[in-house]
Amino acid sequence: MNSEENLSYYINESQKIKNKELKNKTKIAILSSYTHNGLKEIMDVKCVENNILATIYEGAYNQFSQEILDQKSNLYKFQPNILFLLLDSRHIFEDLYHFPDSKSISQKKSFVKERILEIKHLVDFFRKQSNSMIVVSNLNIPSDSSYGISEQKIKYNLSEMIQEFNSELISSYKNTDNVAILNFNSFISKFGENNVFDPKQYFFGNIQINLTYLPNFGNELMKFVISFLGLGKKCLILDLDNTLWGGIVGEDGYDGIKLGPEPPGNAFMEFQKTILSLHHRGIILAINSKNNFDDAMKVIKNHPHMILNEKYFSSIKINWNDKVSNINQIITELNIGLDSVVFLDDDQINQELVRTMLPEVLVPKLPKDPSMFSKFLQDIIQFSNLKITEEDKQRGKMYAQQKMRNELENTTTDLTTFLKKLELKISIKEIDSFSLPRVSQLILKTNQFNLTTKRYQESEIEKMINDENYFVGYVNVKDKFGDNGITGVFIIKKESKKIWNLDTFLLSCRIMGRDIEKAVFTYIVNKAKYHNIEQIKSKFIPTQKNKPIENFLPNCNFKKEDDEWTYMIKSELKLPEYLKLEK
Amino acid sequence: MSEKLYKIISKVMKIPIESIIDTMGPKDVENWTSFNGYVLLHELETDYEVKFTIDEVLDVTTIADIKRHLKNKGIVFD
Repeated sequence: MNSEENLSYYINESQKIKNKELKNKTKIAILSSYTHNGLKEIMDVKCVENNILATIYEGAYNQFSQEILDQKSNLYKFQPNILFLLLDSRHIFEDLYHFPDSKSISQKKSFVKERILEIKHLVDFFRKQSNSMIVVSNLNIPSDSSYGISEQKIKYNLSEMIQEFNSELISSYKNTDNVAILNFNSFISKFGENNVFDPKQYFFGNIQINLTYLPNFGNELMKFVISFLGLGKKCLILDLDNTLWGGIVGEDGYDGIKLGPEPPGNAFMEFQKTILSLHHRGIILAINSKNNFDDAMKVIKNHPHMILNEKYFSSIKINWNDKVSNINQIITELNIGLDSVVFLDDDQINQELVRTMLPEVLVPKLPKDPSMFSKFLQDIIQFSNLKITEEDKQRGKMYAQQKMRNELENTTTDLTTFLKKLELKISIKEIDSFSLPRVSQLILKTNQFNLTTKRYQESEIEKMINDENYFVGYVNVKDKFGDNGITGVFIIKKESKKIWNLDTFLLSCRIMGRDIEKAVFTYIVNKAKYHNIEQIKSKFIPTQKNKPIENFLPNCNFKKEDDEWTYMIKSELKLPEYLKLEK
Repeated sequence: MSEKLYKIISKVMKIPIESIIDTMGPKDVENWTSFNGYVLLHELETDYEVKFTIDEVLDVTTIADIKRHLKNKGIVFD
């Protein structure tokens, strides 16, 4: 069963998009070795569904080499933010696809090597011309061979050749930031070669992806677009009864709920494992359940088959309040936006309530059959991440520590005493290759405490590192509950020998409200003073979300002229006693 | 059954249902490109749960051709 709409739906919807005002914009180019008619319209619509207005350029059929190697081509005129280069094994392997034994092993080896070098040359050539991201598909390994079951006995058979091509492609770009690999071979495996490849469509128009499955393929591309634009979701809010376990704990009791190695309890255990793997990738977990607190907590704390223990949840709302109020409380506690949230609840009325009242929250329609829950969760494209940083891996733990900080804050009456008790230690360092991925992630994702909300791609920041006119600093904050990791970034553009421009200044919502900005600004002023700088200039660019930083410049004694703010450096600044700047 | 067929044609080709006539083909409908013609047959395959052969796909040049091939597969039109 394919839950996607027909292609004609996308073709019709794509024509309604013109002049839509959306928060995020991007330019996508698609080059391919096969016909991909319809993919543009699918991407148009799927982008809008994710609040992205995309301009899409499609290269002419099978002209990808010419487009990439000609610097005057329409591809370069278009200047995409993301280029998808979609390849297929029939095209790349030519006659060897059908006659894999027509050449000697050494000839086949050199053929594969040449094909890899050709594609790598295209990728590297494009990277030299452009800062954009390039996503290259690997090749599908066909399930049938012209040699039948004797294929496995042939030395260096077609499968092995394609596998070598794929492995080489992946290893060549494992550590290259603006190159990613789309696993086309896995896509075919997931939906089945007999479904995805329709010989009639192929012979009719070189259509390699059956039009029925083209929207599913669009989802694969969307994972890269969402992640590239930093629009991945941060938080998964979960219901309990009939979601994390089968049955209703208030009625069926602690021993009566379905959770354990026997069906259907094993499906709920599997679902919990999939949720936990998301948590390990940096997704914050929270509970939103209508239940008696003690009944539900007994399961969470003591049930022998409960995978998701209390320690994995950064916020727990088990009460009789409506689901919308609870979500609002959770996002306030966690200091995240509604648009960072995915809410999973088996109850369709609750789903609809949240969709209506909080349209920014993503509320997927959970399948009725719990055996499908795990697979369903894995297919949510909004949890995609191009790269998982160390901070991502620690994020869940950090938010759990945040829960303890909040408890301390609630028992402390004034802010200064609270901040003193936190024993804050701040270290500020110049960016290096290790911190670059996390710094880039913060620049792309931070919305609230972000002075200018300028979005720089990793490749652009990398250029700043090597440009003496820029200083890119990052902030690491520790306190007595743990390490918050890299949670702040600033970019200084050195305008002249006397003037610095504070181009970017941001702190993660995780550390807002602890005067960290004072410490960072003190660091910047003292560094500027050391370099005989007389003025620091900056701008506040208001957005719908960055209200928390609107008073930052006046609070730091910047003075406004027109739309520019200036801070006159007179003397070094001193930190409040509760902030410690580590050297 | 013509209503169902005409609804699908109208949706894919973006033409009003009332304007659809049997002799209509790519020359008469702006959106009836080679690809859209295929999309139409593909959607008919899904909605009527039938399969066209590649010969039938290549044979279709008018609405009447589509009806004829569907009739051959047991679909009844009024």
